Amino acid sequence: MPTGKQRVSPALPDKRPWAPRVTRAAINAFLIFHLVGIICWSMPLTNPLLTAGRNLIRPYFLWAGLFQSWDMFSPTPRAINSYIEAIVLYKDGTTKNWVFPRMDRLSLTERYFKERYRKFAENLFEDTNSALWPDAARRIARLNATGQSEPAMVFLVRYSSPIVPQNEPHLPAAWDSQVFYAYTVEPGDVK
Amino acid sequence: MRLSSLIQAWNTFFFEPQSPVPIAVFRILYGVLVMATLVLLRPDWLNWFGTHAWVSLPTMHHVEPGTRINLFALFPQSDAWVETIFWVALASAMFLATGLFTRVRSVIVFLCLTSIDQRNLFLTHGGDTFLRVTGFFLIFAPAGAAISVDRFLRIRRGKEDAAIIVPQSPWAQRMIQIEVSLLYVTAFFSKAQGIPWVGGTALYYVYHLDELRRFPVPAWLLHPAMVKLATWSALTLELFLGTLIWIVEFRYYVMALGLFMHLSLEYSLNIPMFQWDVMSAYVLFIDPTDLARASKWVRARIG
Repeated sequence: MPTGKQRVSPALPDKRPWAPRVTRAAINAFLIFHLVGIICWSMPLTNPLLTAGRNLIRPYFLWAGLFQSWDMFSPTPRAINSYIEAIVLYKDGTTKNWVFPRMDRLSLTERYFKERYRKFAENLFEDTNSALWPDAARRIARLNATGQSEPAMVFLVRYSSPIVPQNEPHLPAAWDSQVFYAYTVEPGDVK
Repeated sequence: MRLSSLIQAWNTFFFEPQSPVPIAVFRILYGVLVMATLVLLRPDWLNWFGTHAWVSLPTMHHVEPGTRINLFALFPQSDAWVETIFWVALASAMFLATGLFTRVRSVIVFLCLTSIDQRNLFLTHGGDTFLRVTGFFLIFAPAGAAISVDRFLRIRRGKEDAAIIVPQSPWAQRMIQIEVSLLYVTAFFSKAQGIPWVGGTALYYVYHLDELRRFPVPAWLLHPAMVKLATWSALTLELFLGTLIWIVEFRYYVMALGLFMHLSLEYSLNIPMFQWDVMSAYVLFIDPTDLARASKWVRARIG
């Protein structure tokens, strides 16, 4: 890579002549380790060598925060629109619908600030992330504790609508709904 | 080819001193982007990371086990501490952008960003990952060697000559460049495994995701032939950006196409910060002499 025109500062007399060599060797080891590690980690290929490499570096990569994946919209983009709602059932028998912030219903500025809710709802939607559901339900109960009556149960409902494939007649979106989690609110949850 | 020539190529690539101006410009952009990310999160700092957050710390530990850098787990579990971590991150990003105590600030910013990601991995996106992994290598870069308060102070103390920017070993900058290149290459390989990408219909689905829409895409761009062309172009461009960006003769052309692609995505899709995060690293691929020429041109225009 071209370096442009610069002057190099004059070298100072070195009391430890071995130091630059040791430093260079350490940097080279650091570079090789991280280069191999990053390639092993992020390449979306499955072969025994890459898997072994990933397993070897996993503890360090997770600890240091070097884990990464660049698989946005791939290998297959989502083919459904979805959103999540909650039904809060109060102790007095009344109910309230609570909707996660939906990006398509927000202003442009709000969308920029609230996009994390889209990402989180997308994750919450998946059965593989069921471990998150109790915390989310507790949070919704807390948000909807009005003071008049305490929440007794929270039902999480997912709505989905498949994107009509290209070249097929476009009909108004049909939404499927499914209660995917019911949580009984405990006394300490809303305090 | 001889082993010695390979070693020499490695040494030239990673260690031949070069102007630290590109990495300094990247540092400024990086600091600003981290600040923007944190400010966008500001209304929800406690909603996502507080004591009554959407995902509790024990749940996060259960779902993503293992020892990790996470300041939120290190400090007492209180909203005051959560806010403190964010304010420290914001202040450090500001100081990093200005280049005051650059190295220390880059370490703090990295620790805070990594902790924020680790605290709730279910709301992070590619932009967060990009800032995190490039932030790691920025720690090791001579990012305060130019256009920084640190340099200004060194000049005032007589430790540095104002007329000379001392060339530095660019190995950390190279690692960030490799991250950028790898981002595109892996995105290409990941997409190439999907039937909609190979078949040319992928962008049709992307542009029909209601939650991601920003500004309207002209109807003629959604014609099947155009969708096919756009899908394949995006796929090809990602491969080109990951590979041809290393070849000097092609670099600026693929970078221009990359800017066009990212700005188009910024216009049409609501994925805050990601496009700007990636585009900021393009500056690392600009020849320092071209950067100096561009700076001179801008200054002449401004007067």
